[in-house]
Amino acid sequence: MTELTIKQLVVARGGIPVVRGIDLTVRSGEISVVLGSNGAGKTTSLEGISGIIPAKGSILLDGEDISGQAAGIRARKGLRHVEQGRTVFPDMTTEENLKVALAPGASLEEAYGLFPELVQRRDIKSAMLSGGEQQMLVIARALVGRPKVILIDEMSSGLAPVIVSRLMEAVRKLADGGMAVLLVEQFANLALGVGNRAYVLRRGAVVYNGGCEALLKDPARLHHLYLGDVADSVAMHA
Amino acid sequence: MNSLLTSAVAGLSAGGAYAILGVCAIFTYRLVAVVNFTGAAIGATGTFIMVALYESGVPLSLAVPVGILAGALAALAVGLVMATWFSGAAASTKAAVTAALLVGIIAVGLRLTGGQHPHNFPDLIPGSAFRLAGVEVTWAAVVTIAISVVFTFVTEQFLARTQTGLELRALSQRPMAAELIGIRVKLLALSVWAVMGAVTAFALMVIAPQRAPDFMSLSLLVVPALAAALIGAFASFRAALAGGMAIGIIEGLASGLDTFSQYRGAIPFLVILAVLMWSQRGARFDEAR
Repeated sequence: MTELTIKQLVVARGGIPVVRGIDLTVRSGEISVVLGSNGAGKTTSLEGISGIIPAKGSILLDGEDISGQAAGIRARKGLRHVEQGRTVFPDMTTEENLKVALAPGASLEEAYGLFPELVQRRDIKSAMLSGGEQQMLVIARALVGRPKVILIDEMSSGLAPVIVSRLMEAVRKLADGGMAVLLVEQFANLALGVGNRAYVLRRGAVVYNGGCEALLKDPARLHHLYLGDVADSVAMHA
Repeated sequence: MNSLLTSAVAGLSAGGAYAILGVCAIFTYRLVAVVNFTGAAIGATGTFIMVALYESGVPLSLAVPVGILAGALAALAVGLVMATWFSGAAASTKAAVTAALLVGIIAVGLRLTGGQHPHNFPDLIPGSAFRLAGVEVTWAAVVTIAISVVFTFVTEQFLARTQTGLELRALSQRPMAAELIGIRVKLLALSVWAVMGAVTAFALMVIAPQRAPDFMSLSLLVVPALAAALIGAFASFRAALAGGMAIGIIEGLASGLDTFSQYRGAIPFLVILAVLMWSQRGARFDEAR
């Protein structure tokens, strides 16, 4: 049973705090969804957790504080970050992209099992794949590293809804297989549909921490959580 | 005609050295994304340490490995600077940093090696291998060319067929994504620098007796090296290999022609200029249309 616990995470960009003391928990078999409007601090939170940018606060992976460690060490301890922007290795084939991340004992079939679409494209340079295929590849690449926790940032960005649904289904499979998933997403409804726990960020702070289902059933509340004072102000003027 | 062939053959040795240095320049650029101006100076450092040991009575069998190790360590030091402080910098910034380091290494090297003071460079691989067009082709030339060919093909195969090769390619394409899948990015980058330093040091040890025996001249072999790398568009090891050989042969030909012999040092610059102009031909053609 893996657990990633984030306590009082503070992350700054250019000296300005973007994430202001958030607490998050991600457990095996669960998808924790992080929502919020643009600039709320979602991507910055993930970058702080994975070690791309320095962060204050504690990051406990199965009880061990990894907050002082470099991104590569955190990755080798089982924390994999699928960055925004489909970061394939463009001059390498699909299969090479997977092989380079293969953990001892893992097999490429795990990746092809999750995304059979990639089998036909195994010998194609990844730069030539479609956006959806590239997103599948980077998720599959994280999977074959046999991580304990996978952080996925905005995987739907620029993709057709049908592809996004396909990716959400795959992420749910990862969690059902025992992985802990922290999913940052713009498509709130789709993410809440597959997630277990939701966190809504506004201006770098958590304004909602609870079940996904409750939020999915109450769009007005979700709207208010996203926009906060702005929503109140608009309502007052209406 | 025969004298031209003779001059061309005489340029083979230099061509082999340019090819190795050019391939090493691409090796560093492709794998750690640095246009490295310090390559030849790093090789010169290892070479002069070998010479210093040899002049003080240390046998070559010990001085050569120590010199190669010194080249690797000098490259590691440069690599450490680049990986620690400039890993996220733009390519132009990294190139400028290595140019500055080159100036520093040359200044220190000249001071420590006595400036233009001649040194006794031992022939590591003495003797004549065979005669071609009336010219003695030395074993040093043959070995230099062989090293450049072997290094090119071994590097290509290593990158294509091994797990570490895959990791190096991933590192060169997206360093952060490579780190996020657990690749030991800094260790690999430093290994690339060390290998480059060791190969360059050995290559310069082999060809040093045929060159002007001072630290500055050996360090400035970076110019033909970068010309060869440019011919390979900083991507193709084989094109750089061929380019380095071609530059050496053209230099040899120029030295056989009285009118051009005094300008043969300018040939690598002319090659750089020609390649850069050729690379811009599409844009110029579009403008003209």
